Amino acid sequence: MFHTEEESIVTMINHIAQNNVSAGSESEVADIVENHITKFWSRRMKKILAEQLANGTEEFEPAAKLAAERLSAKMSASA
Amino acid sequence: MLQHFDPNKDYGTPASLSEKMVTLEIDGVEVTVPEGTSVMRAAALHDINIPKLCASDNLEAYGSCRICAVQIEGRRGTPASCTTPVDAGMKVTTQNDKLAKLRRNIMELYISDHPLDCLTCPANGDCELQDMAGAVGLREVRYGFDGENHLDSQKDHSNPYFTFDPSKCIVCSRCVRACGEVQGTFALTIDGRGFDSKVAAGQDEQFLDSECVSCGACVQACPTSTLMEKSVIDMGVPEHSVTTTCAYCGVGCSFKAEMKGDQLVRMVPAKEGDANHGHSCVKGRFAFGYATHKDRIKAPMIRDSIDQPWKEVSWEEAIGFAAKRLKDIQAQYGRESIGGITSSRCTNEETYLVQKLIRAAFGNNNTDTCARVCHSPTGYGLKQTLGESAGTQTFDSVMFSDCILVIGANPTDAHPVFGSLMRRRLREGASLIVTDPREIDLLSTPHLGDATHLPLRPGTNVAMVNALAHVVVTEGYEDKEFIASRCEGDAYAKWREFIIEERHAPENVEEITGVKAEKVREAARKFATAKNASIYYGLGVTEHSQGSTTVMGIANLALATGNMGREGVGVNPLRGQNNVQGSCDMGSFPHELPGYQHVSDAVARARFEKVWGVKLDDEPGLRIPNMFDAALSGEFRAMYVQGEDIAQSDPNTQHVEAALSALDCLIVQDIFLNETAKFAHVLLPGSTFLEKNGTFTNAERRINRVRKVMAPVAGKEDWEVTVDLANALGYPMNYSHPSEIMDEIASLTPSFANVSYDALEEHGSLQWPCNDEFPMGSPIMHTESFPIGDEGKALFAVTEFVPTTERANSRFPLLLTTGRILSQYNVGAQTRRTDNQAWHDEDILELHPHDAEERGIKTGDWLGITSRAGQTVLRARVAERMQPGVVYTTFHHPGSGANVITTNNSDWATNCPEYKVTAVQVEKVSQPSEWQKNFQDNHERQYEFLRGSASSADAVK
Ligand code: SF4
Ligand code: SF4
Ligand code: SF4
Ligand code: FES
Repeated sequence: MFHTEEESIVTMINHIAQNNVSAGSESEVADIVENHITKFWSRRMKKILAEQLANGTEEFEPAAKLAAERLSAKMSASA
Repeated sequence: MLQHFDPNKDYGTPASLSEKMVTLEIDGVEVTVPEGTSVMRAAALHDINIPKLCASDNLEAYGSCRICAVQIEGRRGTPASCTTPVDAGMKVTTQNDKLAKLRRNIMELYISDHPLDCLTCPANGDCELQDMAGAVGLREVRYGFDGENHLDSQKDHSNPYFTFDPSKCIVCSRCVRACGEVQGTFALTIDGRGFDSKVAAGQDEQFLDSECVSCGACVQACPTSTLMEKSVIDMGVPEHSVTTTCAYCGVGCSFKAEMKGDQLVRMVPAKEGDANHGHSCVKGRFAFGYATHKDRIKAPMIRDSIDQPWKEVSWEEAIGFAAKRLKDIQAQYGRESIGGITSSRCTNEETYLVQKLIRAAFGNNNTDTCARVCHSPTGYGLKQTLGESAGTQTFDSVMFSDCILVIGANPTDAHPVFGSLMRRRLREGASLIVTDPREIDLLSTPHLGDATHLPLRPGTNVAMVNALAHVVVTEGYEDKEFIASRCEGDAYAKWREFIIEERHAPENVEEITGVKAEKVREAARKFATAKNASIYYGLGVTEHSQGSTTVMGIANLALATGNMGREGVGVNPLRGQNNVQGSCDMGSFPHELPGYQHVSDAVARARFEKVWGVKLDDEPGLRIPNMFDAALSGEFRAMYVQGEDIAQSDPNTQHVEAALSALDCLIVQDIFLNETAKFAHVLLPGSTFLEKNGTFTNAERRINRVRKVMAPVAGKEDWEVTVDLANALGYPMNYSHPSEIMDEIASLTPSFANVSYDALEEHGSLQWPCNDEFPMGSPIMHTESFPIGDEGKALFAVTEFVPTTERANSRFPLLLTTGRILSQYNVGAQTRRTDNQAWHDEDILELHPHDAEERGIKTGDWLGITSRAGQTVLRARVAERMQPGVVYTTFHHPGSGANVITTNNSDWATNCPEYKVTAVQVEKVSQPSEWQKNFQDNHERQYEFLRGSASSADAVK
């Protein structure tokens, strides 16, 4: 069980990565994670995710981290 | 001669399904009917109505009363027409002097035993015995009236809804057969012989103490007033009826609401109902009293803060107040600072309007629905694999199943009418596999044949489903032809490589699930080798941190064995609330417009924008748990909640309560002051299903009409309130009837294109997709292709098992799982306000004798239950049906605080909460928990605020 919203966002992206771990290489798993978040997460969740990534305080699964980086890059490109 | 099926007529015996036709002559009229039809039915179909007493067309013929005797040329005697099947060339006489005399004699015997108080009998005017006495022309009773009439026998009033008056019983055994054949409970027997014989419940117990589940099938079957609704005894026989749809569970039974003026006397399940075929459960048939309960909210109310009494105001004032607050909040905190929740209890039209209000008038996608907390993984998992977020079959399809796999569902309690149908198929010999931590009642189905229980540990569904698929593939049971022609090759190859890995073998999974490998192998073989195998699942699948993975695993299993696209097979989610399917179809989720069209799909969005006249947001909005988080952070400040009780139904109550308390404006539209309304600033009176027009869509995608039988208590149907709110916000909505809303839905939702009220009037009900491709709707889906990808081929999904982080340890050594029982419905707001309380007036914690003994616990003790999220107190019941280490409770009563202890763990794909696994400790205690004490205080305070509403005009300045 997690406590803060920030923790929960990171827990969730890690959880998506873990549940798709058998989908292929790290990059392929990251594709799935990225697609999932693009499709289902709200703007606010995506923003918190980018902040957490920038903070560097939370622990990301490797594929989750890759996906978060790609999403962040896209967000700053479109901002 | 044309044969019209008249649902109001009893044809005496069930229809024959034979395609072979037989021609015979009845009273000189040539008739042609399917082989196997009884003479009685063949005659009735041609309007030749042979008297009958023990026959009814929902029961197998029994042949005990003999009043239906006929003469058949070339045959001796006077055979009973109900038990005699037609033969080609048969010549039947149903009426002559000899038969008339015989029937009168029989009737005389019945009547000599029967009390002659017809004028004061509650069944007067609705009694088949009376009708038949008239039909056979009974004029005298030579034996006198002092036969064995059991006049001194005690009436049994124990059931809250019907009485049993043995003095009126003619021992036709229709009740006994209805309880067995239709309901599948076998609670009734005929005790004794001859004139001494009488109907008895269980071991001659009172109805309430017996096995009886109060479905009412026997009451409906009884031709006399022996078994009689108390409401008819009190109010008299109804005089008109309106056909509508039950508003409780996802079976969606059709009912005749039988009325006297504007008063509802009784609900009688409609024979023509395609979901229920004239059967019902205790909730739909009897538990409608909440509609006229004194707790109904009858006027709009407002207040500035939740610490103030309510002020009763006009509709205009309440709507104006709500609209102003919403606008002010958006002006100050931005477009995305408000949102709303649609209801799976409301109609399709109402749900559609609420999400339209949010997307078009609020200008964001912050809409969600209670399906988030029940079947959102179904939506996700089935869309990913089969291309459509819905079950693939009709309910009737189960009658063609040879092997039925039930995973995490308890149909006899949660979907009772379908549970009865499934039991019927099981009695006919289909085999059963149950994957569930508990030994559910389906496993004790009377006359059950081959059954296997795989009692897995909570939270291990994915491991189990993978193990079953592993056996199918590695032992060579795959349906190679189906896979080659109907499934996408790359996805299949990838999945196959994954599933054959040794780690999925039952022997390796045993440690995780706790189920013996050999049992799993046998079950997999049984499933894979059955001609037609079907899968039924419920919230025991979805409400887990891997809910979506299990749903995809279920789809994999059905695809790998080729059990898709025909009768008797398929993937069947048993939906909880009446309109969960509908609320999902109608675009309640933050990422999807109606018809599961993604908000980022520019083409779909453009169509909606054109009709709705606004620009739509292309990013998904907040889901319910995100709304709570955002409320606590101060970014989300107002919410419109129609017909949902999130404060009771959502997990981690203390978190939910904190979030709701943080809102500046909570608008609740409900029929009662529910738990959520205690945190509200605007309370708008809701209307029950009896008070409005609309449609519900049941678990088999069946769209069925809801028809108004009485006026809404506060003058408005729910959809009208949403329309008013939209208009007050400056977004024009203009509908004069829900049929116009449906027309708009059909114009924007490809799978509903041919749905309209006229079409529903004509066909009774329609299963979507219903469009030019499937003009009559789609009872069975995916018969030729799947609505996915370019080639219409199903996608196997790789289903990794990731155990939940919610694990038992030395501090929390037990796993709590939650569920439902028959007599109460969900948060219980409705059923708790009916006599269904007689069966379940509190939530109880069930635990295994071993766990109880270790802690010195006896049935009836008060137990403190502590989890990582909170603590609550419930009474104990020691039960063998639990596994050691697993405890169970329901959440029908708000004061139980079952969700105080559930955590905020959730499904990885959809955030559906993990209600089914919470690590807990239990110990004996002597007083309620802190939360419960606070709950009680707040409950009393809020009711006080409500009572003071009319007089406290200064509450809102
Ligand atoms: S109410 Fe239903 S369960 Fe009870 S005795 Fe009648 S048919 Fe059987
Ligand atoms: S109780 Fe009614 S249905 Fe049952 S045997 Fe008596 S008369 Fe027939
Ligand atoms: S089975 Fe469900 S829909 Fe049918 S009567 Fe019972 S609660 Fe209503
Ligand atoms: S109706 Fe045929 S024997 Fe009773």
